[in-house]
Amino acid sequence: MIPQSRILVVDDEPQLLRVLRPTLATAGYDVTTAETGASAITTSAASQFDLLLLDLGLPDMDGKDVISRVREWSDVPILVLSARDIEAEKIEALDRGADDYVNKPFAMGELMARIRAALRGRQRRYSTQGRFKAAELEIDFSTRRVSVFGEEVRLTRREYDLLRTMALHAGKVVTHKQLIAAVWGPQASVEAQFVRVLVGQVRQKIEEDSSVPRLLLTEAGLGYRLRSEDEE
Amino acid sequence: MPGLSLWPVRHSRGLLRYAWATCIVAGGTLLAEALYRTFDITRLSMVFLAAVLVAALHLGRGPALLSAILAFLIYNFYLVEPRFTLQFASAEDFLTLLLFLAVALGTGSLAGRVSDEVTQRRSRERTLSTLFEASRLMSATENEHVLRERIAEVVASAAQGFAVVIGDDHVRHASGDVEERRAAEVTAGELARSAMSRAAGTTLRSGIWSSRPLQADDRTFGAVVWRPASDRERRGSEVEGLIDVLVDLGAAAIARAWLSSVKAEIEAVTQAERLRTALLSSISHDFRTPLATILASASSLLEYDGKLDAGVRRDLLENIQEEVERLNRFVANLLNMTRLESGVLEVRTEPVLVREVIDRVLHRLGRRSGGRKLTQLISFRDLEVQADPVLLEQALTNIAENAVSYSPEASEVTVWANEMDGQVVIDISDEGAGVPARDQARIFDKFYRVAQSGPAPQGAGLGLSIARGLIEAMGGQVLAGGRSDGRSGLSVEMRLPRVTSA
Repeated sequence: MIPQSRILVVDDEPQLLRVLRPTLATAGYDVTTAETGASAITTSAASQFDLLLLDLGLPDMDGKDVISRVREWSDVPILVLSARDIEAEKIEALDRGADDYVNKPFAMGELMARIRAALRGRQRRYSTQGRFKAAELEIDFSTRRVSVFGEEVRLTRREYDLLRTMALHAGKVVTHKQLIAAVWGPQASVEAQFVRVLVGQVRQKIEEDSSVPRLLLTEAGLGYRLRSEDEE
Repeated sequence: MPGLSLWPVRHSRGLLRYAWATCIVAGGTLLAEALYRTFDITRLSMVFLAAVLVAALHLGRGPALLSAILAFLIYNFYLVEPRFTLQFASAEDFLTLLLFLAVALGTGSLAGRVSDEVTQRRSRERTLSTLFEASRLMSATENEHVLRERIAEVVASAAQGFAVVIGDDHVRHASGDVEERRAAEVTAGELARSAMSRAAGTTLRSGIWSSRPLQADDRTFGAVVWRPASDRERRGSEVEGLIDVLVDLGAAAIARAWLSSVKAEIEAVTQAERLRTALLSSISHDFRTPLATILASASSLLEYDGKLDAGVRRDLLENIQEEVERLNRFVANLLNMTRLESGVLEVRTEPVLVREVIDRVLHRLGRRSGGRKLTQLISFRDLEVQADPVLLEQALTNIAENAVSYSPEASEVTVWANEMDGQVVIDISDEGAGVPARDQARIFDKFYRVAQSGPAPQGAGLGLSIARGLIEAMGGQVLAGGRSDGRSGLSVEMRLPRVTSA
């Protein structure tokens, strides 16, 4: 049996912790809780966690600052809990290094799926496998070969960079800003419109019907999400 | 008209003053003639000197000098031998005449200058007092309508005539009869329109009419049009200058009134905006947390039903129930606030057992009191209050929740009720940090939240405001103060009508 993944839940609402703690435990995770940003930072520094489940609305500090602080030393996956209507906050959280978000209110099934995806991403990042596969899409990182239904697809350098970035974060949101940094370089001042165009080009090449994308999905207002490897 | 005495004729008309001077000398001559005939006195130079002095004191320097020369000539011609010539008989007479001329000129000049200075000083005083009075009148009100009327009055009085203030849509009259006004309005309207299109600080004159735009801070608020009462020559430049200042003063006052009305408008909008924002954020927080808890608990029960312990399952169900209750309370509070705001709150008072209401409030609060001790001290079991049971419970819950939120865990919240001065007094005290005396009245304001050093409790700052609204709707009062026993903490006291046993 694989060792239990350790999750630090950061939330100041006792009633929400009352659900999350037993449910996550039942799902097989080792749960620790923190009710303030400060204690979240010290707790996550003191011991190793596999995932941070972070509510952005904390009593003592901005949840986004917790992300920045934790990212100073750790690349632990951070899953953000945030209200659906605060788009800007989610974008900033993702740009500051959060891996994914879940809208509040959420059903347990969705939260669990996101937790699993985030944990997988962590494992993949350290895997030596040079390949990515999601449904009909296959990427061989060593040869830069991309194929759909086994047929090779020719991508330009930027198209490939974009797809590779999405694949490295498969199953999670990648913001416009992150994509620009990965494809054009961190200093580039490129408008989000360029990303949209590039995504359109990639979709033309990898999607069966580029107007109804099933692999490279749009997260309205935030960025894009590539279907993760073994999602149903 | 009292205004006439303010602007005496003799100072406003140059030529007339010289005519008066001539008259005075003529009068002196007549008097001298009479004295000569009656008493056969020839040494009458003093009579002429007196005439020069009178002219000087009353008419100023210029007319005084004229009268001195006239008096000299007449005196020489008429009284000095040989009479009726301008010649003189002896060197002595010549010397006397020369001396007379010197004395007359000197006296006239000196007295005239004194008189001129007095006149000027009076005029300055009048200008100052007019300005002072005008600025007092104009700063006394911020009502633009009243201001325009006052400007018209002040300008009309200074011009001793007729003045109209023309604004974007107002016309105000200060003086003149109806016929005159109608005729004037047409002229005034045209003049005002062209004055308004001019650069700031210019007075447009057309015949006896003058017009000056009401301009301040690069903004035109209309124009003032005025004219003297009669068609006689125009007032002196001093008066015109004064009127210009009065008009500009009026423009500044209107600008001030306008700015303050704009400011009030902006404040009202800001307040409404703040209300909406706070309400939205409060709704999004106070609704979303219970909803998130309910959805998470329910979906957890569905998803992991078989795997969850019986204890956990029960706890999740209880969690759902409590959060639904919380939502329900919040909805009730919002509804009551909306009803209070729009004045459609229905209050149905009836005798209510104080003990029962407090029991219910404390029981429901108990689960959320986080280890705080809730104590009730009720003077006698049958104490009844005339109130709406639902609204009273809501008000008490809000105040008790506030006490719980702002006091440390494991402290005590005391609810005390008694009868005093024919009223029922209910007091809820906590052991928190309390509220500084100067802020105690403000805690019932909407969205008021005490500045906290540590993490602030949840809430939008509506609870106490709603509580006060509800209590007042039931004919009661709410007061906040320090604890009566001198310890730190807040004490909120409600007074409501008692039920008389009759």
